[in-house]
Amino acid sequence: MTELLLQTCVNAVYASSFMALIAVGLMLIFGVMGVVNFAHGELFMLGAYCVVFVYADRDFPFFLAVMIGLVFVGVLGILMERALFRPVRDNPLAGLIASIGLLLMLQAAVAMGFGVRMEHINPPNQATFHPFGLEGVVVALQRLYVIIGAGVVLASLWVFLRRTRFGWALRACAQDPEAAALQGISINQTARLAMFIAAAMAGLAGALAAPLVRTYPYMGHSVIVTAFIVTIVGGLGSLGGAVTAAVLYGFVHTFVTTFSDGVIADIVGLLLMLLVLVARPTGLLGVRDRD
Amino acid sequence: MSQQLHQKKIGRRTFLGATVAGAALAGGLAPARVSAADRTVRIGFLAPLTGEVAAWGLPGLYGCQIWAEKVNAAGGVRIGDDTCTFEFVSYDNEYAPEKARAGATKLIFEDEVKFIMMLGGDTWPAVQPIANKSGMLVSTLLPSDLSPDTPTLIAPCEVHPIYNVTGVWWLADNMPDLKSAVICAQDDALGRPSVATYLAAFEAHGIEVRDTVFFDLSTTDFAPVMTKMLSSNPDVLCLDTAYADFVHPLCEQAYQQGFKGKIISCTADFYEKIIEKTSKEFMEGFIFQFPDFDDPALNEPQINFAEPNEFYTEYSQRWPGEWSAVSWEYASIMDLWVQGAQRVGSVEPQDVLPGMKQGGTGKHAFGDASWWGKELFGIDNALVGNWPVVVIENGKAVIKEYRSIPEWWSMHGELLVKHFTEMGEMYHQRG
Repeated sequence: MTELLLQTCVNAVYASSFMALIAVGLMLIFGVMGVVNFAHGELFMLGAYCVVFVYADRDFPFFLAVMIGLVFVGVLGILMERALFRPVRDNPLAGLIASIGLLLMLQAAVAMGFGVRMEHINPPNQATFHPFGLEGVVVALQRLYVIIGAGVVLASLWVFLRRTRFGWALRACAQDPEAAALQGISINQTARLAMFIAAAMAGLAGALAAPLVRTYPYMGHSVIVTAFIVTIVGGLGSLGGAVTAAVLYGFVHTFVTTFSDGVIADIVGLLLMLLVLVARPTGLLGVRDRD
Repeated sequence: MSQQLHQKKIGRRTFLGATVAGAALAGGLAPARVSAADRTVRIGFLAPLTGEVAAWGLPGLYGCQIWAEKVNAAGGVRIGDDTCTFEFVSYDNEYAPEKARAGATKLIFEDEVKFIMMLGGDTWPAVQPIANKSGMLVSTLLPSDLSPDTPTLIAPCEVHPIYNVTGVWWLADNMPDLKSAVICAQDDALGRPSVATYLAAFEAHGIEVRDTVFFDLSTTDFAPVMTKMLSSNPDVLCLDTAYADFVHPLCEQAYQQGFKGKIISCTADFYEKIIEKTSKEFMEGFIFQFPDFDDPALNEPQINFAEPNEFYTEYSQRWPGEWSAVSWEYASIMDLWVQGAQRVGSVEPQDVLPGMKQGGTGKHAFGDASWWGKELFGIDNALVGNWPVVVIENGKAVIKEYRSIPEWWSMHGELLVKHFTEMGEMYHQRG
C-alpha cells in the first residue's frame, strides 16, 4: 500500500508539473492582455510537433528539438499578439473568437503537413529509476524531464516577475493597464513579452511531453479543457493560484483515477471547479474585481 | 467532305435526314450499351478518416482502393445483366454522430450510393433513422450496433467484440498458469460491450478478473491508469478494445512500471512501434485478434479472402507502416456484398440483403460462416464463424490458431448474455 501511495504521488507530481506549465501561460495571457486564448492547446501541440519534425523525423538531438520548439512557439506567440490580439485589444469577445479561428487553422495546417494519425516518438532515454529505493515505485526519466523543466521554468518566472523591471511591468499591466501606461510602461511591449513567455511555456510542455502523450493534430483539445478548469479554480489573474490549482487538480485527479476510476476522476475535477466557484467565486487565490 | 457529298449528289435534306436518323439510332443504342456493360456502382464509405479513431477508418479506405482497382482492372463483375465497376465515395465522420448523420444523408440522397460501409459504434445511432427510412443497406464492424430495430444493418465481417473470446480461450488452453486478469477500456460504445465479452470469456475459462478500469477518451496520461491496474497484481493485463492511440501508451506504461505477465488485447495496430518503445522481450506472447495478411496461415484452403499475401504486399508498398486491424475488412465486406448482389442479380439495397443471407451462410474471410445473432442482438445479421488468434513472436504477429466462435457460444453463451445484461449492453437495454 505504501508503494502504491508513493507511486500515485509520483504520478501526481508529473501531472501537476505538466499542467502548471500550460495553465500558468494561459493565465499570463489572460492577466496581461485580457484574452481567453482558446488556441493555447494548439501552442502545446505545436511544441510537440517541433519534436516530431526535428527529433523524430530528422534525428537531431532531443533537447535541441525542445529548444527549437520553445523558441518557435514563443515567436509564434509574438506574431499572434501582433496580428490577432492587438487589433482587438479592447474587445475580449473578438480576441476569443480570433483564438478559436487560429486554433482551427493550426490544427488543419498540422494535419495537412503531418497527417492525422498519432505520431510515434521514442523517448531519447528509456531509463527508469526507483525513487525512495522502492522496487514498486518507478519514474521514467522522460517524466522527470517534464517535472524538472516545469520546476526550473516556474521558478525562473517567479524570479523574473519579482526581481526584474520587465517582470514588474508585466505585473503592473496585469493589475491595471491604464495606470501602468500612465507610468510610461509600454502596453504593446509588455503584451508581446507576456505572449512570448506564455507561448514558449506551452511549447516547452508539448516538446518535453511529446514522447509521453498521444501526439496528433487535435491533442490540444484535451489539455485546454483541463487548463481552463485549473485557471478557474486557481482564480483568474493569479499566477500563484494557477500553480496551486494545477497541483491540487493533479493530485485529486491522479488519486481518484488510481483509487476509483478515470471517468469518475474527470467528474470529480469538474465538481472541484463547481465547489470552488460556489465557495469562493474568485478562485483559490484570485482577487475581487475592483469594479 | 463537302466535295464527296457533291460527288455522290447527296442533297441537303437527305444529309440532314440521315444525320438525324443516325443520331437517333445511336441515341437509342447508347443507353442499352451503358447499362449492359459499363455500369459504375457507387459505394459509400462512412468512417473516421481523421481523429482518434482514424486508425479504424482510413486504412480500410486504402484497402477498398486496392479492391476497386483490382476488380475494375479485370473489367468489373457481372451482376444480373450488367457488368459493374465500382467507385467508392468516402465521407469522414470523424467518429462524431452529427457528422455521420450528415454523411449518410449526402451519400444516400446526393451521391446515390447502393451500399454504405461504416465502422459503427457511437456513430451508428445517428445514421439509423436515415438508413431505416431510406432502406439503405449499411454494414458495421460492430455487431453490438445490431438490434431488431436495425433491419438493414449487417455485420458481415467483423463480429466485434464476440471474437475476443477466442483469444482468452487460447490463452487459457496454452498458458494455464495465468489465473488472474485486470481489464481496462475507454468508456464508450466500443469499450463497454468488449468488457462484457472479456468478463464472460475470463469467467468461462476460470480466470479471475480482479478489476475493471474505465478511462475517459480525453485521457492523456496513462500512468495512473496503469498504476491502478498493476495494484491488483494480475497475471494478465487485458487492454480490451482500446483505440490504437491508447494501446500504445498503456503498453509503454506497463513496461515502465515493471509488468512481467502477459497482455491480451483486441488489437495491436502498428505493434512494431510499441516494440520500439518497450522491447521485443516485453511484447513476446502479446495476444490479439488481427493478423498481418502476409501470414502463411492465411493461405489455408478454408480462407475465402482472395490472395491475402499479395493484398498485404500491395498495401504495404503503397502505404508503408499503415496496416491496421481494418485494412482488409471493408474490402472483405465488398466481396460478400458482390456475392449477394450476384445471387439476386441486382445492386439495389433491398435486393442485396436477402441475397447475402441466402441459405443462412456466407463466405467469410476466415472461412464459411453462418448468419447469427438473434439471442444476443435480437436479429440474425452478424456473419459468425472462425476467427484467428494472433500472438507476437520474435517481434512479428503470427496466427497461432483459428477458433470457432459458434463453438464457444454453444459452450458458454449464457455467460455472454449474463455479462451483456449486467453491463446494460443487450439490444433491448440500449437507448
